Amino acid sequence: MKPSGLKAVMTVSLLEIVRRPVYWFGFFLLPLFLFLMLANMMEEGLPQKTPAAMVDKDGSSLSRQMTLNIGGMQMVDLRYESNSFTEARHLMQEGKIYGFFLIPENYQADLMAGRNPVITFYTNMTYYVPGSLLFKTFKSSATYSKAAIVSGALESLGATEDQVKPLLQPVDIQCRGLGNPGLNYGIYLGNSFIPCVLQLMIMLITCFSLGQEIKYGMSRQLLRRADGSIVKAVFGKLLPQTAIWTVVAIFMESWLFKYNAYPMNGSWLWITLSEVMFVAATQGFALFIFCLLPNLRLSLSICALTGILSFSIAAFSFPYESMYPAIGILSWILPVRYNFLIYIDQALNGIDIYYSRVWFVAYIVFMLLPLPLLPRLRRCMARPVYVP
Amino acid sequence: MKVFHYIRNAVSQLFRVYCREFTLVIHDPGLLLFIVFLPFAYPVIYSLIYNPEIVRDVKMVVVDHDRTPLSRELTRRLDATQGAWVTGYAADLGEAKRAMHSHDCYAILEIPEGFQRKVDGGETGNAVMYCEMSLLLRYKAFLMAATDVMLDMGGELQKRKIDDALPMGSSYISDGDLLPIHNVAMGNIESGFDSFIMPAIVVLILHQCIVLVLGMSGGAKREKAYLIGYDPYNAVRSVGLTMAGQTLCYMTLLFLPMIFLLHYVPLIFAFPMESDIVALFAFMLPFFIAAAGVGFCFQAFVWERESVFVLWVVTSVAFLFLSGITWPLYGMSPLWKGLAYCLPSTWGVEGFVRMHTNGATIAQVSDAYTMLWILAAVYMALGYCVQRWIVRPQTLAARRGANVVRAAIEGR
Repeated sequence: MKPSGLKAVMTVSLLEIVRRPVYWFGFFLLPLFLFLMLANMMEEGLPQKTPAAMVDKDGSSLSRQMTLNIGGMQMVDLRYESNSFTEARHLMQEGKIYGFFLIPENYQADLMAGRNPVITFYTNMTYYVPGSLLFKTFKSSATYSKAAIVSGALESLGATEDQVKPLLQPVDIQCRGLGNPGLNYGIYLGNSFIPCVLQLMIMLITCFSLGQEIKYGMSRQLLRRADGSIVKAVFGKLLPQTAIWTVVAIFMESWLFKYNAYPMNGSWLWITLSEVMFVAATQGFALFIFCLLPNLRLSLSICALTGILSFSIAAFSFPYESMYPAIGILSWILPVRYNFLIYIDQALNGIDIYYSRVWFVAYIVFMLLPLPLLPRLRRCMARPVYVP
Repeated sequence: MKVFHYIRNAVSQLFRVYCREFTLVIHDPGLLLFIVFLPFAYPVIYSLIYNPEIVRDVKMVVVDHDRTPLSRELTRRLDATQGAWVTGYAADLGEAKRAMHSHDCYAILEIPEGFQRKVDGGETGNAVMYCEMSLLLRYKAFLMAATDVMLDMGGELQKRKIDDALPMGSSYISDGDLLPIHNVAMGNIESGFDSFIMPAIVVLILHQCIVLVLGMSGGAKREKAYLIGYDPYNAVRSVGLTMAGQTLCYMTLLFLPMIFLLHYVPLIFAFPMESDIVALFAFMLPFFIAAAGVGFCFQAFVWERESVFVLWVVTSVAFLFLSGITWPLYGMSPLWKGLAYCLPSTWGVEGFVRMHTNGATIAQVSDAYTMLWILAAVYMALGYCVQRWIVRPQTLAARRGANVVRAAIEGR
């Protein structure tokens, strides 16, 4: 007689993972590659030296001074000098620059005569990050130039330096980013997208491994091996995966907060607990989907859809309160959303666990979600039908 | 005559593969889902998520230790900006922090005591805004609001004070703003998030659609006929013609989805549309062929239909980041840049975005266009090798095996 029970199911399930290359890809190669890529690509925090152009139609000492000032800024690389707006726009369309700074003709003369010449800078907002960085650089250098010009003009009118200085900036509001003062793009992106990659892979592998049993008609054998108990069958099948995913998740945690030194201002205990519960919650969510649609292809399609949409709908970049309410509400049905919220509270801001209590409860809800549907899964496993 | 015979033979082989592939697709609901649902529903859902475009009215609270007309003016002006929404005053920093921790606000403005006194006395009045950094777009909204208010209030106070110091002094310098600085956003003129990300996503959806369809159909060719309900075999003697026939078939099937994706999705959601659709399709031709080449190579790894999900779906994330739309290509290390250059999606996104949003002509995206043709050649050549030496022997073996089984069942 063949061995049966939870242990037997787990052994067979583990052997299958070891034997099939598709699982190696799903469990290790793909997630680890993306972990590496997302964190490593943004290692610098912000892209330096955005290519830009200068359109100096004035050619005066003042405009040359401004060009030098802008060229000296850290974030910008004034690679081209164009003669006209059109020429600079063409450079932008060819993808060679992401913005340009235009000083009009007779700028210095008009300025001295009080004719309000206008400085305009153009940023290509098609590319958000370089566009925004150029915006910031251009705006601040234009403001500095303005200050220099105003103080020069006032001093020439007879004001003393003491009188001029406070006039330049009567009000100052300093924006201080809490937890990420350098505006590091990697911190913001790595901590949300990397767990989301993990969620996608957990969901896909969970449904794939269960669906395989039904596709090849092995689910009856599985039930027999589990002594006819669906709980034993499902847990035996998924627990080895939980163990592997937990290892991957803990690795991810150390990769993010230790190796890449992303801000970790709270307790390691809560973050670790969050990652472990996140794995189980995601498996629960995927199992719920599979119980609803016990069909390999359909459940995988739904998992792929939710998994990929999670990157946007879980509100990592666009805040959920700015989304349409009917769409924003969907962000709450994704496990990774809670992972993100716990990371914000516990790692980035390091606040009391009291404020995150609800997020942990949400994990538990995800884990319990599939339990009422298990009898349905049992029926489908007992009579496996493959729908291509 | 021999040449003529050869051509006629080739065309007939091509046509046979082309027609047979249609029949196979219609029998496979999985492929139909990729051809219908993925390009039609997915971009709409995706666009709807970001469709509000701009982050408005992010909540903040104010801790005003000064309580003067000027500090209230500062608060009012911040509240009036597009980005910030002052939901209330907090008595002290502790209360404000509690509000932030309970996720009721995302920034705290602290105005120190003596703010107005300083400004009136000719010093700089300093206020500090503490921003929560979980989402950069929220921070950006606060930063823009603070900068605008600072410059506006600063300009007015400056003018008043210059006049105090030197009667009519400001009019010597200018009669309006002392030195106007304008910014123009090009391409994505309202700096909306949807208009920024969606053109790239649309191209990626098309790319993934092509690769997934080819991957799944490749997987189906190794499945057993009794399992999937149809005989997936479709090949003629020439491997190249088989590939060409299949590519043409998917090109025909995906033509309408392509029009929808590249033309109607931007139209429905009012993304910037600066390109000529004919030029756009000319640009997308090598992109399609290159993506199909990737699909043929991918078939080497697909042993069954459904494993495409596990093996391929997650690559979308990698392709999005490697495309340079979020993190620009010039800022990547040589390793990632090199990898990005080898992907059709990078050049497809680059060219499409520049044509579609920035109004470049096809000549202005010649770098991307040339690269796409090169990649199309390379991937098709690689795909040929994969088909010839990996996929074809295996499908033939699977078919022979199936025939043996069928013969055994039928008792021959």
